[in-house]
Amino acid sequence: MEFHDDFPQYEFRDQHGEAEGKTQRRRLWNVFWIMLGVTIFELCLGYYAATKGVDKTVLKVVFISLTIVKAYYIVYAFMHLGHEVKAMKWIIIGPYTGFILYLVFMCTVTEGTYAKAHRISPPDTKYEAPKEGASEATEAPKEKEAEH
Amino acid sequence: MSDHESSAEYPAHWGGGVSPLKVSYGKLFMWFFLISDALTFSAFLSAYGFMRHKFAGEWPIPSEVFHHFPFIHKELPLAYVGFMTFVLIMSSVTMVLAVEAGHRKNKKQVLIWMFLTIIGGFTFVGSQAWEWFHFITGTEAGHYKDLIIDGVLQKHQLVHGANLTYNEYGNSLFGAFFFFITGFHGFHVFSGVIINITIFIMVARGIMEKRGHYEMVEKVGLYWHFVDLVWVFVFTFFYLL
Repeated sequence: MEFHDDFPQYEFRDQHGEAEGKTQRRRLWNVFWIMLGVTIFELCLGYYAATKGVDKTVLKVVFISLTIVKAYYIVYAFMHLGHEVKAMKWIIIGPYTGFILYLVFMCTVTEGTYAKAHRISPPDTKYEAPKEGASEATEAPKEKEAEH
Repeated sequence: MSDHESSAEYPAHWGGGVSPLKVSYGKLFMWFFLISDALTFSAFLSAYGFMRHKFAGEWPIPSEVFHHFPFIHKELPLAYVGFMTFVLIMSSVTMVLAVEAGHRKNKKQVLIWMFLTIIGGFTFVGSQAWEWFHFITGTEAGHYKDLIIDGVLQKHQLVHGANLTYNEYGNSLFGAFFFFITGFHGFHVFSGVIINITIFIMVARGIMEKRGHYEMVEKVGLYWHFVDLVWVFVFTFFYLL
């Protein structure tokens, strides 16, 4: 059976001329600068937190919200979801958000509360960052003492 | 209700020839695929977060593990991951510029931007291989750990680097999650590069020109931006937090 598709060709809907292309390109580069700025800020904050120490909760909130900002720009500007019809936006974003909210709920409330109550305590040797030049001689006796 | 009645009630929609979403079949199903893929990655990352809080006491701090940079023998926390993120965002921009050039039916510009995207993709995959190498090799000093080898507890073993069962950095799950999440993402980047090359060849041979539109570039662009989107989340949850 021959497949005959007589639906309107939506591929042609998005085509545009040189003038429109110029404004679109300017918009895309603006998005790029925003994303670059956000990433550099995140790295600086991460470096600052690693050396000076910042409150963990503040870090989490800042990093996750900045990530969502970046995700918004990627999906709406780069993936052109901002230009699609309203129904299309909802079909993509709606179910996904629903699943994610449930996943977050599961990880933080139901399973998370259980895991927190039954948290596996760290073993007798607590993790330490491997230091440069740390040799067997310096570390071995300390561990032996802990055993006895 | 007969067919005749329903088509009389909604002539525009049930009579055919109308697409309420105003996107083509291929693009719509690329979106559906991306949603399912996004759910997979969300599951990985939330599992990571869950296990990290469960084993909070022995979980390493990422900025202390990933501080290598090629040719510079200094500790630069997260600098190389920052570079990788930059490469991927940059390649995302070149991809979207290729899509834009496709909308103007400018074959030469599509080829230039897609070529740069492929270069960016290869750079990213190579960087990831380099980072895996350093993660697996580990530090010279290593770390002493109690291991269970063949069901027998062996106390105080010197461990260098990482493998699938244990690693020197902390809980063994840290290594497993690192290999699994970045590996799965890296494979997505690799397949994205392969698809990009395929479309590049198709554009170069003038197949898109004959069709009259460059929608294939747009579809592969959707996939490529998705890979970038996932990396933005991996970057935050795995390296920054």
